[in-house]
Amino acid sequence: MSIKVEKISFKYDEENNYVLRNFSAEFHEGKITALVGPNGSGKTTLSRIIMGILKPNLGEIIIDEKNTKKFSLAEMGRQIGYVMQNPARQIFSTKVKEEIEYGLLNKGMAQAKIDERVAKYLAYFDLEKHEEDFPFTLSHGEKQRLVLAAVLAIEPKYLMLDEPTAALDYKRKEVLGNYLIKICQEKNCGIVLISHDREFVEKYADDVLKIRGGKNV
Amino acid sequence: MSIIEIKNLKFAYEENSSRYILNDVTFNIEKGEVTGIIGLSGCGKSTLCQIIAGIIPNCIFGEISGEVIVDSIDISEVALSELAQEVGFVMQDPDRQIITQTVEDELAFGAENLCVPPKEIRERVDSVMELLGISHMAEMDPSNLSGGEKQLVAIGSVLTMKPKIIILDEPFSHLDEEGKDLIRKTIDSLSKKGKTIIVVDHDYKTAGIFNKMLWLEEGKISEHKG
Repeated sequence: MSIKVEKISFKYDEENNYVLRNFSAEFHEGKITALVGPNGSGKTTLSRIIMGILKPNLGEIIIDEKNTKKFSLAEMGRQIGYVMQNPARQIFSTKVKEEIEYGLLNKGMAQAKIDERVAKYLAYFDLEKHEEDFPFTLSHGEKQRLVLAAVLAIEPKYLMLDEPTAALDYKRKEVLGNYLIKICQEKNCGIVLISHDREFVEKYADDVLKIRGGKNV
Repeated sequence: MSIIEIKNLKFAYEENSSRYILNDVTFNIEKGEVTGIIGLSGCGKSTLCQIIAGIIPNCIFGEISGEVIVDSIDISEVALSELAQEVGFVMQDPDRQIITQTVEDELAFGAENLCVPPKEIRERVDSVMELLGISHMAEMDPSNLSGGEKQLVAIGSVLTMKPKIIILDEPFSHLDEEGKDLIRKTIDSLSKKGKTIIVVDHDYKTAGIFNKMLWLEEGKISEHKG
């Protein structure tokens, strides 16, 4: 089982050049696959296409043998947990703990189980003392940890992580890296890791795919 | 005389709170120094920079005490617009700072507000775009750029203002290796021209570029020579 990216081409509008050109890749379950490339090479654009936020001009995304062309955003969200590059773009609750609860409530989980899971992820990402805080008063690094906690708490089958370590200090990077390995091994989670953090990629990724100028390298 | 003097600085985001994010912080920074502010996430690095830039308490409120003198100005006695001529602040999140429709407009915006003559603004914008390797993006909409490209635009928009003090809050976080090298070299070159530079980071690996490092932990600061 995997996420297959098949010959994707994309441009933002008619006047501009293609950001992605015939790009193909496969992200397997139970593995951390890093997608690396210079700034502006199309990594984040590809993540948005896989998530269904952008529609490609050409090509297809196949998840577990199913073409996602007709999937709604909600369906895509059920398949893949998405941590965006900028955490402030995906936080909208008024309390830290409510941000983690939100995805679980939408999954229809029982309240007792939600409470248990929120407590687990608050502790794992060292956010317990902030549980009642308004998320926008957090530092950038704390916001990044909150978004990771909120998405990982859902325990999706696949994860799309766009620069998840950009605002994390060395201690928190290690906590995240160890957790990603754990969910790959124990839950067979497939992880797409978009990152410039060479050290993190070398330490935790199973495979590395390269992109440059929107093309496979 | 030091260009930045901070004495017994205390700050809490909530009034009458005992949760001081900065607790009796004292240090000086000399003109032309490159100072690294290092510490774990949430330790108060960005808060300290926002105070030096006057954003706290002018735009973000809280309980503040102590003395902050920037280029002989007591920042509690001047308007934010006046301090902006001395201190250029590149925020951690470039999306919070980019406001115009094209990259070149973004680079011109700060200088226009400082009433720099149009011809000189054009020269500054061209020279900074060349320095940062973003000339080919001049007419692009910044919102369509990648995170790393936005970070370079945000840095460029502060450089065109030519402030005496430049604060870069985690400037390397979204950059590839080439971009990181470029910013390190730019910092070095600005420092040689007498600019005072503060770089916030949570990584010791950038330590090589600093004359001095300030380590922040639980609201307290300790100093290490570079």
